[in-house]
Amino acid sequence: MSSLVLVLVCLPFATALVTWMTPVRFSQYLTIAVAMVTFALTLVLLPRVSHSVVTTGSVFRVDALSQVFLLAVSFLYATTALFVKGYLALGDGASARRYGRRFYAGLNLFCWTLITVPLVNGLALLWVALEITTVISALLVALDDTEGAAEAAWKYVLLASLGLGIALFATIMMYYAGTGVHGASYSLSYSTLLSGAARYDPGVIHFSFVLAVLGYGTKMGLFPVHTWLPDAHSEAPTPVSALLSGALLAVSFYAILRFFQIAVLSVGPTFPRDVLLVFGVATLLLAALYLLSQRDMKRLLAYSSVEHMGILAVGMSFGAPIAVVGVLLQVLAHAAAKGTAFFGVGSVVRKFGTKDMAKIRGGVGALPWSGPMLVLAVLALSAMPPFGIFRSEFDIVYGGLLEPRDVIVAIFVVLVILAFFGLSWFTTETMLSPDPSGTQISGGAVLVAKGEVSNWIVSAMVIGLVALLILGVHPPTPLVHLLDHAAFELRGKP
Amino acid sequence: MAPSTYDGVAAVLALLVLLTEFAMLRAPLLRSQVRLYAFQSFVVTGLATYVAASKHIDELYALASLSLVLKVVIVPSLIVRLLRDADTDLAGSSVLGVASSILIALVVAAFGFFAVGSLHVSSSSLPTSSLAISCAIVLVAFVLIILRSDVVSQAIGFFSLENGVSVASLVVATRLPLIVDIAFLFDLLVAVVVFGVIMRVHHARNATLSTSDFDRLRG
Amino acid sequence: MDSLNVSPYGVQAIQVLTVLLGAPLVSGVIAQVEGRLQGRRGPRILQPYYDIAKYFSKETLVSNDSSWVFLVGPIVAFSCYLTVPLLIPVLTTFPLPLGFSGDILGGGFILALAGFSVALSGAESGAPYAQLGSSRAMTFGALIEPTILFVIFAVALITHTDLPYALSATIRSSTSQMVRPSHVFAAAAFFLVVLVDTGRIPVETHSGTLEFGMIDEARTLEHSGPALGLLKWGSTMKQLILYTILINVFLAPWGLASTGKWSSVLLAVTALLGKAMLLGMVFAFIDNLFSKLRLFKITEFIASAFLLAVLSVLVFYVGGG
Repeated sequence: MSSLVLVLVCLPFATALVTWMTPVRFSQYLTIAVAMVTFALTLVLLPRVSHSVVTTGSVFRVDALSQVFLLAVSFLYATTALFVKGYLALGDGASARRYGRRFYAGLNLFCWTLITVPLVNGLALLWVALEITTVISALLVALDDTEGAAEAAWKYVLLASLGLGIALFATIMMYYAGTGVHGASYSLSYSTLLSGAARYDPGVIHFSFVLAVLGYGTKMGLFPVHTWLPDAHSEAPTPVSALLSGALLAVSFYAILRFFQIAVLSVGPTFPRDVLLVFGVATLLLAALYLLSQRDMKRLLAYSSVEHMGILAVGMSFGAPIAVVGVLLQVLAHAAAKGTAFFGVGSVVRKFGTKDMAKIRGGVGALPWSGPMLVLAVLALSAMPPFGIFRSEFDIVYGGLLEPRDVIVAIFVVLVILAFFGLSWFTTETMLSPDPSGTQISGGAVLVAKGEVSNWIVSAMVIGLVALLILGVHPPTPLVHLLDHAAFELRGKP
Repeated sequence: MAPSTYDGVAAVLALLVLLTEFAMLRAPLLRSQVRLYAFQSFVVTGLATYVAASKHIDELYALASLSLVLKVVIVPSLIVRLLRDADTDLAGSSVLGVASSILIALVVAAFGFFAVGSLHVSSSSLPTSSLAISCAIVLVAFVLIILRSDVVSQAIGFFSLENGVSVASLVVATRLPLIVDIAFLFDLLVAVVVFGVIMRVHHARNATLSTSDFDRLRG
Repeated sequence: MDSLNVSPYGVQAIQVLTVLLGAPLVSGVIAQVEGRLQGRRGPRILQPYYDIAKYFSKETLVSNDSSWVFLVGPIVAFSCYLTVPLLIPVLTTFPLPLGFSGDILGGGFILALAGFSVALSGAESGAPYAQLGSSRAMTFGALIEPTILFVIFAVALITHTDLPYALSATIRSSTSQMVRPSHVFAAAAFFLVVLVDTGRIPVETHSGTLEFGMIDEARTLEHSGPALGLLKWGSTMKQLILYTILINVFLAPWGLASTGKWSSVLLAVTALLGKAMLLGMVFAFIDNLFSKLRLFKITEFIASAFLLAVLSVLVFYVGGG
């Protein structure tokens, strides 16, 4: 099993190196194959970590909590590889050259870093891994040679690096908290920290946890340090946006969860939960309000990601086990749903040639497969049954009512409904509106021919929706065991 | 009572790092900001060497020499090369005048001082005031980034923030395993390279290093 | 032996006399060094004495629009400059009898009174450049006040008292006191304050009469005769007083007489003048390294001095430093 972890780590990195040198056609198929294999390997790993921990040396460590995020990342890796095959084949010559080997190498490298984050053992290595994700994703955001992309890439790299600087401070303070128990020189591995956490100085832990939420929260998109998110996610190439929204935000949340785990053992559950509650509600409120006034499709989805990160934070602040299970399930379901939504948006953008929602009408008619699937994905994001997000948000609300935190739950539900309004406005306006070519009034909308853009994109979206259905209707038993065990780990028992 | 001589010298060095941070608020030319950053990194290296010599921690020597090469030589030369290619030398005009910036940064630094001072952190390597000073350095670096409107000043603000975190790690994490420290340093180098790439992209696209028209994406 | 001792009052009188008679010498040395650094021969070292004597032999011209304030101003300033040496540790390590009549804040007040009376008499004359100089001097003086206050706070926090003698004793006591950050930064801040108050580069050019940049020099443009002699003498005395505070309280409080013996008193006088000349050479050196700041940038400079002073107080509170 530990060698499996090593394979998981090395495979995408090796693929990145290979795709740097091989022609694009080969790279496309190679990436798809490697991504599928990676996902399969994480599935193999699943039953093992549901009840124990897999370690490889002192560098890598997989427990149930890491496995959840690993699943989300590898699933998105696989479906994005499929999507990219279809999406990039449609560009013109200039973009094809730009999206050549560099893009594939960058994509594989980015996915490698995303996979590494849940696998590393220790807060220091966690920081290093997240820093590498930042630098590589910043390069990918800047790939489109537009002014918007340059601006978004600069904002992203600056703000994310600042956040990671604060997170480094938090890591160092956590190290200091441990020196009283473990001596002046020790490694920041999770097992060490979890074993000694009960004896750490509470004041320092308070300080370190708040700094960690602020720092890693910058990468996660929590208010007030989310300002880079809508820009970066909307200006990046669509496959990169999918990975950013679905996977990178999730692994940043994973980093916060690691600090949460230690803090709960050290200062008790109240303080960490309250901190997460404050940030979560503020994020949710901001995202819900901004969702009502968007014109750019990808920006809309970016704000939806912010909303879901707020939901995750609020969910963690409810202490009931079922709420924590809901949060972890939401991580998985959000990855699938957001990925599918971005794939659909990519298909629409390729069809209509613009991201501006005012110019897109009659999406369902123009794209007979990806159009309705995009509508389904967006509805899934708004927590419509029978998709996975409905189940996870239901669990979160149920957990909150068990606490009882009725006021917060009420606010939560209201804000989620507000977000639903924003998303459904988009859906009806662009996708479900009547086909303009049939009528005399086009109102500025772009007229296009009917027909699917690419079958690869369709297949990627189908896989995503099927996964969402599985998660919503009947999550497989090993997965349920995994989620229960991960929630158990988070509740503060070493 | 007065702190010991060792504590006093160490605190003076840490304060010198903070002073350099303030000086960056004032520097009008980008090249002088880079030089100030090189000087600041030099002082941080000096502080690390002083701690290593006084407390007999050999690993810190390796760390100090590595950070000397990286932060005093490589990073400033990378930025200077970018400046030469971009052919601009003036810093983007700051949002506020220099005296007002210094006063704001002073208030922020005082806040940082007292916030950390209330934590009662005690360390065997450096006096407690150094941790408060490092927190103030981080906060003043934030002020620098907020008030400046060109990419190079903001990048240098970020690098000097890393310097502040290095001072903090000298105080509370002196015996952090060397491999971890080296990982942090190389990560910083990678970040510098990426910053440089994106600065060039920005410059190639907009023919300027200023961020004052970064308002295209809004809402 | 007892006959070799100077009575404390005698020592105080010698203090005032030292400042009175030694100030032009220090000024002359600085001017000579400045000249040498610029590649000239420089004026002779005793030139300020000759200048003052020359002024006393000239007639006084008073404009029709000015009143008695114009005549009284230089006298008030001069008597203030004669009073301050009584309060600060010029020659001795132990406090002298009249030294308790005012602490460092009192000394600061008296110096401010002197500056105020000179500025007032300059403004009173009705001439444009004199008024320009007076208003500028008062503005920058007001701006530098917070720095001086914070320096005094730092001193008071370290020694729990306001007496300058106590601080110099504390500094002498151990190396750790010399390198403690509060002291180092308070000294640096006070160095900048002295630079501003004595009107040196980068705040003002000491030589030449460039009206656009004159601050302190312009206040005295309208005076003539003995009044001008008093003003020139007074400004050299102010310079020496500030140097004395900087040296004997902050930087190098050694060589002071610890007993009342004639030999140690004379040694102290020589040491003081020597140290002041060295400090003056440092200022002359700075003169040649930097250029004068434009007037509106002087606020930046003052803000930097304020920064140093505030940091010295803050670090005391946080780390006991």
